[in-house]
Amino acid sequence: MAVTQAPFHAGEFDRADPVPRSVQPRIRIRDVTLSYGALQIIGGISVDIAPGETISVIGPSGCGKTTLLRMLAGLAKPTSGSVELDGSVLAGPNRSVAIVFQDYGKALLPWRTAAGNVSLALEARGCPARERPEIIRDLLDKIGLGRHADKYPSEMSGGMQQRLQIARCLAQEPKVLLMDEPFGALDAMTRQALQDEVLSLVAMTGATMVFVTHDLEEAIYLGDRIVCLQPNPGRVGRMVDVRLARPRDQLMTREDPEFLRLRRELYDLIKDDHQ
Amino acid sequence: MRTSSLRKVFLGLLGLAVFILVWKLITDAKLVSPIFFPSPERTLASLIKGLSGGALLGQTLETVQRMLLGWLLASLVGIMLGALIGVSRRARAFIAPTLELLRPLPASAMIPIAIAFLGFSNPMVLVVIAFGALWPMLLATIHGFAAMEPRLYEVSAVLGLTRLQTIWKLALPSAMPMILASLRLGLTISLILAIVGEMLASRDGLGQSILLASRSFRSADLFAGIVILGAIGLVGSRLLSLAEARLLRWQATR
Ligand SMILES: Nc1ncnc2c1ncn2[C@@H]1O[C@H](COP(=O)(O)OP(=O)(O)OP(=O)(O)O)[C@@H](O)[C@H]1O
Ligand SMILES: [Mg+2]
Repeated sequence: MAVTQAPFHAGEFDRADPVPRSVQPRIRIRDVTLSYGALQIIGGISVDIAPGETISVIGPSGCGKTTLLRMLAGLAKPTSGSVELDGSVLAGPNRSVAIVFQDYGKALLPWRTAAGNVSLALEARGCPARERPEIIRDLLDKIGLGRHADKYPSEMSGGMQQRLQIARCLAQEPKVLLMDEPFGALDAMTRQALQDEVLSLVAMTGATMVFVTHDLEEAIYLGDRIVCLQPNPGRVGRMVDVRLARPRDQLMTREDPEFLRLRRELYDLIKDDHQ
Repeated sequence: MRTSSLRKVFLGLLGLAVFILVWKLITDAKLVSPIFFPSPERTLASLIKGLSGGALLGQTLETVQRMLLGWLLASLVGIMLGALIGVSRRARAFIAPTLELLRPLPASAMIPIAIAFLGFSNPMVLVVIAFGALWPMLLATIHGFAAMEPRLYEVSAVLGLTRLQTIWKLALPSAMPMILASLRLGLTISLILAIVGEMLASRDGLGQSILLASRSFRSADLFAGIVILGAIGLVGSRLLSLAEARLLRWQATR
């Protein structure tokens, strides 16, 4: 069975989990709720994420995707429940959990060049100054910014700035990569190129990824599983397994009957939420 | 770009020439007694004489030194204090009302207090300069820190920067445009207070020299002093503009 039909209970998702239970989850989200005052934003989410797994998160606007991601990054504290990283409760931001913010314009340091922005992550983890230039060059090359190391963010396009943010996150050498609609503002071609870059980087580093997106196809293309959130309060409506071969390919994968089936299924699901 | 900046310089010089010409016309027509209002030529002659052997050069150096010392003191204290207050929301809430109360006080109100403590001395003048020039830097730093993009604090937390690193690498650079503008304002205030301080406390320098020249109706010397004051202000502000353009290169591009 490719799709878990029973929502709402964490235990039931575990059965559909492609990774054996004996492996300790990288991230364990346990009955997490979050309220602002009397208003409950997140209403009890439980998900286990295995090491190396990529989870896509979709859901209507305002359902709490960003809020969930911020809790995983330690930037927001759950009102009840907990987020565990490798078995211990996440008390706050942690260097091994990197986050790519949606608003790249605000997350980069405008007074530092591309190289300088990546360097910030290295400086933070105490990497000796001698070793930085080489690491920076490697990372910028990897993400396709090798020729733009000396440009300031204001001299770069949106796609380049978002790449730079990803490069800075990679410099953190994180175990977990959180992405909040990172490609939302980009054109289709740039978007697909970056999707492939991110997939190959994740494959190379073995990082665990949680990827928030509005785009159903992007969610399928990137994910091992897809968490569909429902709003008011935000909770897991459905968990969908993506059984598509890796490495994925923009043409082949998107023409795969399974891809089309999943797209249809998710589309129906989201449509219901909007009614 | 090149040509337009050349044109700007040319226009500036033209304006200056017109100004001097009008000055000369007024003095040639003897609209005002030369005892109070010297001609440009007499002013220039006095300027050359004073700078090339007279006391003017030494007095200029005295004043510039006083101004720079007071300005440096004010900048250091202002930026450090501003950073201390700026990083903590609680510290800002605690101290901001007091600052708002003190800030509108003119620096001259501080002079009697400084005299009471330090007498008519060089340290007294220095304290007056530093106190007066402190405010722009202090407030700009506080506001610059408070206005830092909140997202950057989150970036700092996620990357695991220490508090000191956050101040040094994020808050200070992001407050830099405001701080640099305030440094320029502070320099102007320092020059004004250096002159006033010298006049009041009879310290060696341009302020005293101008005052003495005016008392003994040496109008050419008086004007020569004023021309130098203007030049000091101009050069100082230009140098800071250059530093600003260099430090804020990242801003100029878009
Ligand atoms: N600081 C806050 N105080 C009060 N309510 C908040 C706060 N932050 C978010 N919310 C509310 O929480 C809900 C979820 O917000 P969130 O940003 O997580 O949604 P989202 O799923 O990311 O939406 P989008 O797809 O539009 O980005 C929204 O209804 C929002 O109004
Ligand atoms: Mg969001």
